[in-house]
Amino acid sequence: MNLNNSRKRVQTIAKKELVEFARDWRTILAILVIPLLLFPLLFILFPILLESEAEERQSMQLNIEIQTSLDQSEFPTFFNDSNLMITYTELANSNVSQISDSETEALRDLHIDSILKLSKKNNTYTYGLFYLSTSELSLESRSRLLLILEQWEQDEIELRIEGAGLDIDETLNPIQHDGEFVANDVATKGEQSGMLLSLFIPLVLSVWTFTSAIQPSIDMTVAEKERGTLEALLGLPCSRKELLLGKWLAVGTITAVGVALQIAGLLFAITYLASANLFSLPSLSALSLILLFVAVVLFAIMVVAIELAIAIRSHSVKEAGSILGPAVLFILFPALFSQVINLDNIELFWFGVPVVNVLLALRELLMDRVVAEHIVIWVMTSILYAGSAALYAARQFRREDLVTSIS
Amino acid sequence: MEDILLRARNISKNFGELQVLNSINFEIKKGEIIGLVGSNGAGKTTLLRLLSGVYTASAGEIMFDNGETIEKARQRIGVVPESTGLYSRLTAWENIRYHSRLYGVSDNFAWRRTSQLAEPLGMTNALSRHTKGFSRGMRQKTALLRALAHSPHLLLLDEPTSGLDITSARTLRKLILKLKDEGGAVIYSTHQLAEAEQICTRILIIHNGEIRANGTVSEILESTKKKSLEEAYVHLTMDDARPRFENEEKMTRLSTWWRQLFTGKLPPKQIGGDESE
Repeated sequence: MNLNNSRKRVQTIAKKELVEFARDWRTILAILVIPLLLFPLLFILFPILLESEAEERQSMQLNIEIQTSLDQSEFPTFFNDSNLMITYTELANSNVSQISDSETEALRDLHIDSILKLSKKNNTYTYGLFYLSTSELSLESRSRLLLILEQWEQDEIELRIEGAGLDIDETLNPIQHDGEFVANDVATKGEQSGMLLSLFIPLVLSVWTFTSAIQPSIDMTVAEKERGTLEALLGLPCSRKELLLGKWLAVGTITAVGVALQIAGLLFAITYLASANLFSLPSLSALSLILLFVAVVLFAIMVVAIELAIAIRSHSVKEAGSILGPAVLFILFPALFSQVINLDNIELFWFGVPVVNVLLALRELLMDRVVAEHIVIWVMTSILYAGSAALYAARQFRREDLVTSIS
Repeated sequence: MEDILLRARNISKNFGELQVLNSINFEIKKGEIIGLVGSNGAGKTTLLRLLSGVYTASAGEIMFDNGETIEKARQRIGVVPESTGLYSRLTAWENIRYHSRLYGVSDNFAWRRTSQLAEPLGMTNALSRHTKGFSRGMRQKTALLRALAHSPHLLLLDEPTSGLDITSARTLRKLILKLKDEGGAVIYSTHQLAEAEQICTRILIIHNGEIRANGTVSEILESTKKKSLEEAYVHLTMDDARPRFENEEKMTRLSTWWRQLFTGKLPPKQIGGDESE
């Protein structure tokens, strides 16, 4: 077989697949635009949204009923919050942990946001706080009341310590840390950022690599079967290997572009946060960056080959979708699992476990840890898995029943 | 002997235990149009797929005039499958160019040949359009142009006029006759006996995976002692057609059981009831 002609055929197949793919704007939106926007939305817009929601909650007018046997003069000034509409009533029952049916109904009907029952026995205040966890207003009133009660308790403690003739600071903090804990961390800001990123980047990268390859894998294989285009293709003077390689290149390119855009979005978000002194850029050596790239490529080879093989084996687009959709769990579970594996003194065999090996490698490399024996194991095993997946895919593409109507 | 383009000897094709083709023998001469006639499930498409290299024969051999096998001679074959196999997000010309490139033909050559053939088919303006909105006739014509762009010696057509209107079918037949004049051979699978009679130089009647007749219309009529091709066909295929491979897919025992679990039974027969009810 002329290698030059073979290369041309593979290129032709890959190019056609990419052109066809690029002409469907909905797919472009799903696979290319979303990953680009994901991290900026998550890191920049989401905190802004959270902040504005918190502000909104702060300005909420809350209806609170305080049932107490105490005189109002005994209450600290914290209760005089302008956004708290407090109704004081006499405590009917000295047991503050009980709530009547009518009170429950008032809470459930949102007439009152929370009820605080407060009594005093000897020198101890006892309270019961009733709320509705499914109501935002009720939850907000609960947290504000708890904050007030905490401040009141703090004041009471200090008053009683002073009353006993003791020093407040010495009594409450007999063992004190000198300085700031954060400043005592000898890890650089870049290393700390790398550590933080290593907790979610491997997960996101692996899940995205798998999910972004599903749709093009199905479209270029079993969908071709359904549309009848595969039969015309199989009669052409190109081998099944060339066909697989061309399609693999196309799916691989789409996945790579999706992942690259996601990383670009992430870098943009990190740079934005770094400019606001909220985050630092991770410090990675050139070798770590190269190895990160190798790990992702090997993982992508394996994943794309497996997905193409499963898709071409399927009888219909529906069947392929219903297998490949839930199959993301085979990536998600190891990804979550590998987040909790302790990297210090890690056993070597972890770097040989499929999927986990690449995820651990990504974690280590993001923390700029280049451990030669780990690298040798994950590179070798990843090549083995990627090669096996490619062989399996090639076997599936050689099947005669790719086209099976008998007439 | 020099006129023989392709020779098939003792071709059999099995899918598991199912024998789809059994000891098929025939030859194709240059300039011939062979009508492959048979009922659904007779084995026509399987034979065409063997000739195009999509399937490999379980037994026997298919050789071209220069001793090449199908695998090596794909360059000399053009195929129009029943489904046409066009990519809807590509234009007609892009579909043609894609296959031509895989045949190793230059874009210039493919374009010259396509534009030359597109004119009589009334397809010149349609070449730049995406095939998504194409009618069945336009799809067939595009697939035919695609199969011819690399100047094949053998053209395989799987029911090319099925679903076509009268004018489109007529135009297509004219083009096929023109190809015959150029010296190319055509294998043409069809259900339409009249159509086969009209344009084919020879007819292969295939039934239950076997060739029941192979000759000109007059030869078939003479051997069967019938007055029309239709009568001859009915006579040659009198035995019941074999059942088709269920749903064209291999079913495991588990899959069959699972499918049966959710399959309803037929309503009971109404004894003495009115059928029109």
